[in-house]
Amino acid sequence: MDVLDLARMQFAVTGSLHFLFVVLTLGLAPLVAIMQTLWTFRGDPVHERMTRFWGQIYVINYALGIVTGLVMEFQFGLSWSGLSHYAGDVFGAPLAIETLGAFFLESTFLGLWIFGWHRLPRGLHLACIWIVTLTAYASAFWIMVANSFLQNPAGTVDRGDHLELVDFGALLANPMLTMALPHVVGAALLTGGSVVMGASAYQLFRRTPEQEFFTKSLRLGVVVASVGVVLAVAFGYAQFGPVGEFQPGKFDDKPLAGLGLGFMIMIGSLLQLVVLFFLLPVIRWLPRWRWAHPVVMLMTPLPFLAAILGWLAREAGRQPWLINGRLTVADAMSPGLTSGMVTTSLIAFTAVLGLLAVVDYVLIARVVRRGPAAVALGAGPGPDRERAAALSL
Amino acid sequence: MDILWFGVFAVLLLGYFALEGFDIGLGMLLPVLGRSQEGRDRVVAAMAPFVLAGEVWLVAVAGVLFGVYPRAEGEVLFGLYPLVVSLLVSWIVRDAGLWFRRRLDGRAWRAGWDGAICLGSWGLALSWGTALVALADGMSVTPLGLAGGAVVAAALAFHGWTFVSWRLPGQVTGASRGAGALLASACVAAAPAAVLLAGAAPWLLGHTAPADTLNVLSFMILPLAPLMAGGQVWVWRTFGPRGAADRIPSFF
Ligand code: HEM
Repeated sequence: MDVLDLARMQFAVTGSLHFLFVVLTLGLAPLVAIMQTLWTFRGDPVHERMTRFWGQIYVINYALGIVTGLVMEFQFGLSWSGLSHYAGDVFGAPLAIETLGAFFLESTFLGLWIFGWHRLPRGLHLACIWIVTLTAYASAFWIMVANSFLQNPAGTVDRGDHLELVDFGALLANPMLTMALPHVVGAALLTGGSVVMGASAYQLFRRTPEQEFFTKSLRLGVVVASVGVVLAVAFGYAQFGPVGEFQPGKFDDKPLAGLGLGFMIMIGSLLQLVVLFFLLPVIRWLPRWRWAHPVVMLMTPLPFLAAILGWLAREAGRQPWLINGRLTVADAMSPGLTSGMVTTSLIAFTAVLGLLAVVDYVLIARVVRRGPAAVALGAGPGPDRERAAALSL
Repeated sequence: MDILWFGVFAVLLLGYFALEGFDIGLGMLLPVLGRSQEGRDRVVAAMAPFVLAGEVWLVAVAGVLFGVYPRAEGEVLFGLYPLVVSLLVSWIVRDAGLWFRRRLDGRAWRAGWDGAICLGSWGLALSWGTALVALADGMSVTPLGLAGGAVVAAALAFHGWTFVSWRLPGQVTGASRGAGALLASACVAAAPAAVLLAGAAPWLLGHTAPADTLNVLSFMILPLAPLMAGGQVWVWRTFGPRGAADRIPSFF
């Protein structure tokens, strides 16, 4: 592999890892926020326990979203300085707005939410998770604005050696964005719903004593996954319009892109069939149909797989361009980048992040297995209360 | 507008060292300040609620670098490639230690991740020091850079020591420090970056993005500034020494 392939590989590996965790963050955040809202306004303890249990899964997943995101944030400058050189005046704006206007708030308020149990007034604590949810979606929006600009550099003119932003509105109304964003939101909700569904089915299959808890969770998961799959499929097909207009032939000439698209659609159709036409109609009885639970469990990895295939289709299909029709990937690579540099960082990032990703999934699986009784998030003053109280005197 | 955004950049960079510096310093001192597992738990619990609100300042620095100084961004990050990679890997290892240390029971598990916190924090401090000297020195890594690493490590360790003497007075270091001392140690932690920034100001200003881009950024971000600042203030009000909620088990 030459240095360009290595740099592309690094971006693909870290980007895919990042999205695996981000797609679940986006899917779970609104679910946790809704659970906590129900608890705050109705006061039913089962909703408090649901908030803490699914919230714990959400934050463990979030940890990997952050650390993989750090690499993404700095990677453009490391390997692709030609991009900021040619198009930084345009491409930098949505990324800067994302970090300051969305992620900065998300991280601050997530800290308040995680450590604020039993310290913040209930209403304000609830506000924190809603701010976290809204800013997570704002992040997704700005990242998709930046990505869509690469697919179709709307709102800009070429000034010889650099691109200039002339119409910010056109950047936001990019047709490559308007259909892709709801598609990604649908994918995220489908993923979040599937995880809640799959984990609940596992607990019910094991004849958990927490029947009420997982019955409610399973039903909520099915509903959210249904909304997600409808959005994902509808806006999936809707994307063919703008893609055909701005990147005709993107799936025909590049086998990898075509393959990704084909398998994504296969998985999408399968999930649509199962979720909408089997699980949703029988949602009332599903929690008690033990024979159906293994099917629900087996479905859990599919949305993750489809999401990675989707990005493969979108990004492999863009080659050889980094900015469609304007800047090639080869020209965007940092001049002077060597195979040695990229190989070292590729191995370091892949080894560290890969290992952490495995640990993270094992930890999530363990939370699912141990059930709501063993959750640390939001735990109140515990058995070691007296010792700690003595210390704080 | 150029000056305004340079001010934002400076506040974010110096704010990072002031507000995240003590987390790094405490991570470095973790084996010294917490000789037993309980001792380390106490130190980590003291800094835990501040980490998410602190480390995000560096993400914001990178964002502004990309949005406001796009042509400097590639030059700086690529010019410091090995240092940026070691900074990122250290940061990742430190964060993983914090998030994972309490996720399984067992002393070996927790002690292992405490080691990761310490290692990652040292990596962060040394990478930063070396990078700041390299930036001042035309992007070359020299023996002087390693001395810079030592200076920054010492400054951050001092800031961490002061923070924990403020947050848990008399309990960890044996000393008690007030808010004034904490402010002073924050200035110490931010000083190396401030010196660099002062020197690099003309170069950076010469790389500013055009007015149209800055207008878009101002329009989108400045209205959110009160919420951003408000969130930070709220963190400090909630989790400061008077928040005294040590009875609640820490998540990290
Ligand atoms: C019948 C179902 C589906 C169809 C017709 C469909 C269609 C598409 C198309 C045409 C693209 C490429 C757009 C481009 O190249 O610019 C795409 C991308 C993508 N798809 Fe799908 N898709 C379907 C199901 C799914 C599912 C189930 C998921 C995940 C749960 C998913 C996740 C993604 C992602 C993450 C992308 C990349 C971002 C984007 O372009 O929106 N898709 N999809």
